[in-house]
Parts: sequence; C-alpha cells; structure tokens
Amino acid sequence: MQSDLIAEVEETLKRIQSQKGVQGIIIINAEGIPIKSTLDNSSTVQYAGLLHQLVMKTRSTVRDLDPQNDLTFLRVRSKKNEIMIAPDKDYFLIVIQNPSD
Amino acid sequence: TSGFLRVPYTTCRSLVPPNDDTPFSPKVFDENGTDVTPQPLYRPDPAAVPPRQSKILMAQDVSGATFSDFFSSAFHTTYASFGGPFTRSLFESSIVSKSSQSTMESLNEEIEEPSSKREGIISLSDVQVRREEVKEPTTEDVLNKKVDIHLTETETLCLLDIPATSVSVESEEAEIVKQRNAAYTELCKNRMGNDKYVERAMQTFNGAPKAKEVQTKSITKVDAGKQTTNWDIYDTLSGTGVEGVVREPPETEESNLLDIMSNHIEDAPAPEVILYSEKFQQDLLVMEKVVLQNIFQPKLAAYRQLPILKDPDSTQKPKDTGKTEKQIQKTEDIPSSPALEPLWSFTCELTVGRNVSSMTWNKMNPDLLAVGYGHFDFEDQKSGLVCCWSLKNLKWPDRIFHCESAVTALDFSGHNGCLLAVGMHNGSIATYNVQSKEKTPITDSSEYPHKHTGPVWQVKWVSQERAHSEEEKGEALVSVSADGRICKWVLKKDLDCVDLMKLKRTKSERTRRQLGERERRSELVIWREVPGLCFDFHPEDSNIYLTGTEEGFIHKCSCSYNEQYLETYKEHKGPVYQITWSPFSPDVFLSCSSDWTIQLWRQDLLEPVLVFTSPCMAVFDVAWSPKWATVFGVVTEKRLEIWDLGASILDPTIVQDARPGVKLTSLQFASESDCILLGDSDGQVGVYQLNLNLGEGTQIKMHCSILLFN
Repeated sequence: MQSDLIAEVEETLKRIQSQKGVQGIIIINAEGIPIKSTLDNSSTVQYAGLLHQLVMKTRSTVRDLDPQNDLTFLRVRSKKNEIMIAPDKDYFLIVIQNPSD
Repeated sequence: TSGFLRVPYTTCRSLVPPNDDTPFSPKVFDENGTDVTPQPLYRPDPAAVPPRQSKILMAQDVSGATFSDFFSSAFHTTYASFGGPFTRSLFESSIVSKSSQSTMESLNEEIEEPSSKREGIISLSDVQVRREEVKEPTTEDVLNKKVDIHLTETETLCLLDIPATSVSVESEEAEIVKQRNAAYTELCKNRMGNDKYVERAMQTFNGAPKAKEVQTKSITKVDAGKQTTNWDIYDTLSGTGVEGVVREPPETEESNLLDIMSNHIEDAPAPEVILYSEKFQQDLLVMEKVVLQNIFQPKLAAYRQLPILKDPDSTQKPKDTGKTEKQIQKTEDIPSSPALEPLWSFTCELTVGRNVSSMTWNKMNPDLLAVGYGHFDFEDQKSGLVCCWSLKNLKWPDRIFHCESAVTALDFSGHNGCLLAVGMHNGSIATYNVQSKEKTPITDSSEYPHKHTGPVWQVKWVSQERAHSEEEKGEALVSVSADGRICKWVLKKDLDCVDLMKLKRTKSERTRRQLGERERRSELVIWREVPGLCFDFHPEDSNIYLTGTEEGFIHKCSCSYNEQYLETYKEHKGPVYQITWSPFSPDVFLSCSSDWTIQLWRQDLLEPVLVFTSPCMAVFDVAWSPKWATVFGVVTEKRLEIWDLGASILDPTIVQDARPGVKLTSLQFASESDCILLGDSDGQVGVYQLNLNLGEGTQIKMHCSILLFN
C-alpha cells in the first residue's frame, strides 16, 4: 500500500512537471527548507524564503478575519507567470507556471 | 545558644591592642578618681577558654570612636543587659537574643564593644561548659532516679516604669504639684530677659556611620514581548493551537513573523513522511487540476458557455491573436453556419489503443464522466478498463478501474451518485464505488449462478416508483445481454436477479404458415432466445420499456408481464443497436440499426413516423439532444451526424468525418453544455462544441408539428 502511494505520488509529480508551461515545482517543509525541487539551488532557496513569509502573512490575514477559517490555496498571478502554493501544516507545495508559453 | 560563631582571637579586629594578651578591661573612674569600674558577674580564667567572638566583631572598625564614648556606650549596654533583678536565665536569653541577631546582620544602632560582650559571652560559654561538665557524671546514675521538680514563681520583673505626669486634683499631692506648676510659670515669665537663661549652642558627637556591602547573585531579567492576533487568541481559547495551550515566550527579540514561525515548529517531520503522506497526494492532485485549468482555460470556458477572455499578458504572436479576434467577432455578429468545434479530448497513455465502448455522465455531478473501454467483437480481447474522467483534469482520469474482461456497458446510479454499474463481455456485472480509492468492485456477479452467459450489452439503473413493498422502492439495476434475458438485479443479502423478460424468437407469420404441422412439432430450436442489444425505460412510466433485439424487432414490454410483449415494432432489417426515448415528448423514440437506417417512432403507431437513411453503413449509436427537441446525433463507423429536424428531415445538419484510421463507436451529449462527446476505437473521447444557432428555446413545438404532420 505504501509503495503504491509512493509510486502514485512520483507519477503525479512527473505529470505536473510535464504539463505545458510548468517552470518548476518546489516542495519545502515547515521550516522553509526545500525538500524537493526541479529548479536550481539558488532559485529554490530564494523562492522558498520569500514565499514562506508570504504564506504566513496570508494565513494570518485570513484567520484574523475569521478565526475559524483557514488558508487552503494561494495563487499569485504576475505578468510573466503564475505561482501556485498549496500550504499545509507540515509543508508547502509550490508550482510555477507560465500558461501562455 | 547555638548561635555563636567561634572566631579565633587573633583575627579579631577590635580595639584590643594586639600586644595585650589579657582581655581588655576598661576602667571607669569618676570625678574623684575612684575606681567605679563595674565588675563583671563572673570573671573566668582567661586561659581556660578561648575567647569567642561574635561575627559582629569581625565587622569593620568603628572609626572615630573615642575611649570615653566607648566606655559610656559599654556602660549603657551592659546596664541595659542587666536591667532589673536578673536571673541566669534572663542573662542568657538577653545575650542569646542579642548575639543571634548580631550573627546574622550588622547592627548600626548598637555599638558592640568587644570587652563586655566578650566577657559576657565568655562567661556564658564558661557557664555552658560548667553546666555540661556537671551533666556528664549524673546522666547514668540519675536517669532512673526520681527527680523532684519544683515550680516556683519568678520574682516580678518590672519591664517598664514610667511615672505619671499628671495628678488628680483631689489627691494629696495636688497642692504640691500646683505650687510647683505656679513656680514654673513664674520662671518661664522671668526667663525672657534674664541673664540666667542664655541661649547656647553645643555640638554633639555624631554617630559614626558604617557602610556595609552585600554581594548577591545577579538577578537575570528577561524581556518577553508578543504581538498577538485575533486567531491566536481563538486558537488558545479553543485549545486547538498548533503548539497546544501553553506557549513559551520567545527568548530573543525577533520579528513577529519569525516568532510565529519559530513557535510553529516543534519537530519538522522527515521529508519522506511529508512527501508520501495522504494529504500531500491530495494537494498534488489539486495542484495538477489548477495547472491544467490554466492551460485549458479557453476550452473550459467554451464548454461552460462563458465568454472566452484573452489573457492580457499573453505573449502570443500578433498573427494568431488577429485570427482569434476575427473569429470571435464573427460568432458574435454574424450567425455562422452550424459547426462542430473541437475543444479537447480525454485521452491518456492508458487508454491509447483501446476501443471506447460506452460513456455515461454522473447523475449527481455533471462534471464527471465514466468511460468504458473494451472491444465489441471476440477477437483481440484485452482486459477491460473503466476510467472516470473529471472536467477538472483533462489529462489524467480521476479513477481507474481494471476489469477482467472487456467493458461493454456502463451506468451511474441516480440515487447514489457514487455507484457505477459495469457490464462486461463475459456476462458479469460489477458495481464500483467511485468515491473510495478501492480498486475492487463492491459487488460482482461473476460467481452468481444465474448470471448472464453472454456479453452484457446494456445496464441501466431504473428507479422503481411503483413497487409492491417499501423495500423495493429505490433503484434497481436492469441489464440486457446476448443470452436473451433482461434481468433485474437486486442486492439483498447477495446479488439476486429476477428475469424481467426472456426474449424469444418470434418467427414471422409467413414462415410459420409454410412449415407443416409435423415440422412445427418436431421443430427443434437450439437457441430459443434471441440476443437483446439495447433497452430503454419510459421516462415517465418506469414499468414500460422498449427493447431491441438482434432480429431487428423492437418490443415494448412491461415489468408486470414477463412472458408476453405488449407491442412489437417490426421494421428494422438488422440488429437494433440503440433505442432511446425522446426526453421532450413522452411517446416518441428513436432507433438505429445496422440496416443503415435510423427510425423515429411514435408509441402508438406500428410504423415508423420517419426513416432516415442518410448513412451508408451500420449505425452504432443514436442520442437525443437534451437541450433541443428536434436535434439528435448519430454515429456510424466513419461519421458523426447531427440531425436537426427543424432544419431538414432529409439530410443531417452537420457531418463530421472520423480521423483517418479510427472508427467512431459511441456518442454522448453533455447535459449542461452544448457539447457532445465522441468515443472512438483509439481510446479517445473527443469533446466538441455544437454551434447550431438554434437559440434558447427547446424547439419542442417544431418537434410536435413534425410528428403530427407525418
């Protein structure tokens, strides 16, 4: 069962990576340390550090407005690409995509 | 008496001159020169007992004290000590109290002089020693002896005696006092200018201050600050905070965000644990959908009939954008000719090469599509596959079920949106729960003795409104198969089926007359049942259903009678592949067969109302449009045709050819959109948008008029 799950996770990651316009996938743990990344090290560290703070601030905002609410997904659309972040208690999943590529 | 501290004599920093061995004995002389030195009560042998000093004597020197001062203070203190008639106990206690105080703290108000104190202490210690000496010989002897205890009253101790300053008027002394008072007032009056009374100043001696230092351990102070937020308070109150209810203040001063960060981290789990957790997988799937949504946004917008917005930041070449703009303008301004616009196709590496045999939409969630893959004919049998595709993920199915044999029929349950019934080529029927992650079916009829012996060509969930008992109400699964039986499956304890109808061969009248009596009797029919290929329940009356057979007959049957048909429609010359009631008018149905025709029937007429013979090959599938009453779609091996009866009853409105090398197999209309789905033999399900320019109405009036005129 566990090996099934592992295989599925790996497969899904590969699929996402192969979609059109996806520039990179980064997974960081709760401390902000990248676990897995398809980008080079310096970019990864930069993204990890900056996005960690952003997510914390966003989560704080959402919960301040209504403490029973919580942040589930964050998308930042910019001119050149879109950064999609799925935050969780233990990790952040970040995908950078340029859909009009 | 244990409060004494022994200090060697040599370390004493007192006023005792170092070269003097004898204990320091001050002498007090009065004005006549007589020696009025107060004698101590007890003068011990100085050599016997080492002098003891209290800790206080270790203190800093009393500077600036003169001998006379010293004596006077000594005198005073000793007098204070020995005030009143005293007993040994009093002496002891007073010394004890004083010295115990003195061992602990510095006394600035009492000037301790070494001599009297020392003598007192020495005397006491001597007394102590003596007492101890006395004790020793008596302990053993005297223990058992009777001891007489005398309780006596001590003499009255006068602790305070302040004589009264006022006298009663009637007392004896009143007169004297009054006289004295009068004399005093006289004196005061005279005092003013009198030479006897002169103001004079005197300087008194100032007490010598003594500084005392104490060193303690430094008291560590910690500054704790915290900025709290609304949700912080909520979390703590409800006890669901990430780090529990008790929170330690941060040690250092950091920014607030980092505070939150550091508080949230207790033990970051290992990377593998994170990567392979369920939650992560779910997040990954959501992310995939989001990414795909970005890519396919224009197509999905077209599907949902939303206006397609151009991305303002897109870096497409101007030539392309020019084209699309023109196209958009065209559709807005000029009504274009009916066309099929391809949007996308559901396909993935798993499905490539497989034949799409059936498709069905989920009744609860119209975004979910189940597609069954399996070959129709016996050769080239691979194992079957069922994929549940979602509109949110166009590149990979949400659920994949592998079946042992080719899938030939599918249907989602209407009551319970998660149940999917699958009919297979080997005759077995399985039901899957789409919601769970289980890959195995909930029920499987392959073990059942009365299962179908031929491929199951159609399954449908039928809601039973007219039921005999309460428990039968709900939904039943009805299936038709090549062994000529239409069965209703019920799940009680096990899967149980009830034959609704056995499809018997009906010979035509002519051939029956030709055969003689004898031949009829001896006629051995090897296979009395005729394979049923399709069926459809009446949309309003769930008791009536139509079924098409391989003979080319369409039988109208009822659930109440399982021996006889209500009606038989004989027109088709070949096997009837699909029958479907019109969703708009309750008496009309369409049938298609391999005799190259599609026929439109009315329930009460035994002859078809309209016959469409456009396609020159077998018609595999026909479906009514759920939106327009006059539109239906037809699939032949090489073509897709969209017929609009309002436009023309002789020719199809739209004709789309299949891709080269690919055969089309099945058709499905989308209920909430203008799109149709087309399945082919290469495992692709293409989604096309139908632009018929028919407007919003259902065209039902047109539909009825067509039927009436014919």
